Amino acid sequence: MKLFDKILKAYTYTVLALIYLPIVILIIFSFNESRSKVVFTGFTLENYYSLIGNYRVWDSFYNSIWTGAVVTVVSVVLAILMAYGVSRYEFSGKTLIDSIMLIPIIIPEIVEALTLLVFLVIIGIELSPYTVIIGHVAFDISFAYVVVKARMAGYDPQFEEAARTLGADEIRAFTKVTLPILAPGIAAAALIAFLESYDDFIKTFFTRPPGFMTLPVYIWNMASRRGFPLDLNALATFVVAISLIFAYIRNRIERRVY
Amino acid sequence: MSYAVELINISKYFGDVRAVDNVSLKVRKNEFFSLLGPSGCGKTTTLRIIAGLEEPDKGIVKLDGKDVTYVPTHKRNIGMVFQTLALFPHMNVYENIAFGLRMRRVPESEIRRRVREMLEIVRLTGLEHRRIHQLSGGQRQRVALARALIVQPAVLLLDEPLGALDLKIRQRMMVELKRVQREVGTTFIYVTHDQTEAMVMSDRIAVMKDGVIQQVGAPYEIYMRPRNRFVANFIGEAINMLEGTYIEPGVVETSIGNVRVEGGAEYVGRRVAVAIRPEKILIGEEVSGDVDNVFSGRILMTIFRGAFVEYRVDVAGFEFIVFKPHVGGLARIYQAGDVVKVGWIKEGGILLVD
Ligand SMILES: Nc1ncnc2c1ncn2[C@@H]1O[C@H](COP(=O)(O)OP(=O)(O)O)[C@@H](O)[C@H]1O
Ligand SMILES: [Mg+2]
Repeated sequence: MKLFDKILKAYTYTVLALIYLPIVILIIFSFNESRSKVVFTGFTLENYYSLIGNYRVWDSFYNSIWTGAVVTVVSVVLAILMAYGVSRYEFSGKTLIDSIMLIPIIIPEIVEALTLLVFLVIIGIELSPYTVIIGHVAFDISFAYVVVKARMAGYDPQFEEAARTLGADEIRAFTKVTLPILAPGIAAAALIAFLESYDDFIKTFFTRPPGFMTLPVYIWNMASRRGFPLDLNALATFVVAISLIFAYIRNRIERRVY
Repeated sequence: MSYAVELINISKYFGDVRAVDNVSLKVRKNEFFSLLGPSGCGKTTTLRIIAGLEEPDKGIVKLDGKDVTYVPTHKRNIGMVFQTLALFPHMNVYENIAFGLRMRRVPESEIRRRVREMLEIVRLTGLEHRRIHQLSGGQRQRVALARALIVQPAVLLLDEPLGALDLKIRQRMMVELKRVQREVGTTFIYVTHDQTEAMVMSDRIAVMKDGVIQQVGAPYEIYMRPRNRFVANFIGEAINMLEGTYIEPGVVETSIGNVRVEGGAEYVGRRVAVAIRPEKILIGEEVSGDVDNVFSGRILMTIFRGAFVEYRVDVAGFEFIVFKPHVGGLARIYQAGDVVKVGWIKEGGILLVD
């Protein structure tokens, strides 16, 4: 069994290395002085300065953030209402809803993106930042739903009943007791929803109007048009850093369980 | 005078399960009233119907004389202490207790005063800023009690609130609950499967089984005069149940011989049981005086119980349980195999028909 343990360990480290090594290298070379992708010639922050001076970066960053925020709010509110209904009330079709909500997670995103685009064209809706938002909500809601529903499964309805015996009507019992108790789960769902939207390339690419760029789209543009400029490494590092911050916050919140 | 709570022919079904079966109850004002019965007999459901958390399929619920059968919970002016307590985990002790007043939009200064008052009554002063998970079981109990009482409910409903506590704290909380009830002068309806809790605290007890009320009475009444076999068996530590036939006025024929009983002439010819509490039975080499029933037996087992000695005595194949207190200094303790007499006066036997 010792040998098996060792193989397992080696395997784990290999997988981790394959996943993270490219990112580590990317980060290191974002500080590289020369244009070389192979040799590290000296440390510089020049790449980051050039990034800060680039208004297109700021513009796409701004787009990423505001669409992400709208997507998050819409997805989470819808997810809470659905999860609450499904958890608290008995009705036929409950399991069907559960399955339907999983579909966007399962099917390939490109299929989803393509069908959405076709659908938008058919019903004659012009592409705009709002079509991007619709596209994101359509699958972010699934992630939010899964997380919120898991939290509600462990939620004791007696909290709400206790509130009602203390004089709260159903709405106040929900807003003063249920929502705050579920808040950590809701925050986790919101962060996941935001990260999914912030990370997204395919959907955005298909549903965006001309000229509308989010960070991932901008990176793709840079990479495809100008070869591989160095400030791209810096930009990618920046994107990764933001993702890591959100992932870290999410982990901290997830641990707060009542 | 109207009753604090009145249930009139209440029934509640869950599918085929008859959780509450035609229950009628009248709970007086300022009474400590217990619903006592084994697990699954419908106690919680009855309580939830009073609270409005469950709608009865049949019957009427009255609070303070008013029909509230279809009044929603938050308008009923009741308080409830849940079996799980259901203290709000996102609030500290103060906020938990203040919740009911917040819902009633009481001014902040009055909330402060009343919470302080309540903390004193349940003896939690100084803990108002603790979070719930930082409290002991007994303290949580008190918070739940304070939270329910602060709105001055017309009736407080308690669902096995001491179930999760260990014995010592439970005993202390029983006394505490009784004290608080006197202090605030509120009607308490207390649900439990533990007869000791019911006996210690209650003014009156309703014994329940399979959704049906078996008997309502003061603790001594249901102990001394149980109405049927179930209540006789359920209440008290043990009881000797002699099955037999009522053959002539004052005499029941049983497997150990004829037994003299008090009253019941109307039962002649019927199957009855004579139930005798273990402490009502005299035991000795001779049982003298005006003892109506005396039988010879042999000690099967002797158990020293501290305040008394418990004997198991075989009488013609029936095993008697006898509690003998230590009266007047050191009495002889019989051992297995000793031949003894057991006896009781006829008023010590309870005649049971159902
Ligand atoms: N929500 C429910 N759904 C189905 N059956 C229930 C429900 N609540 C209670 N019951 C059933 O009703 C009966 C009485 O339950 P309950 O009032 O909780 O008893 P107790 O509190 O005396 O233990 C039990 O048989 C229980 O299984
Ligand atoms: Mg119960």
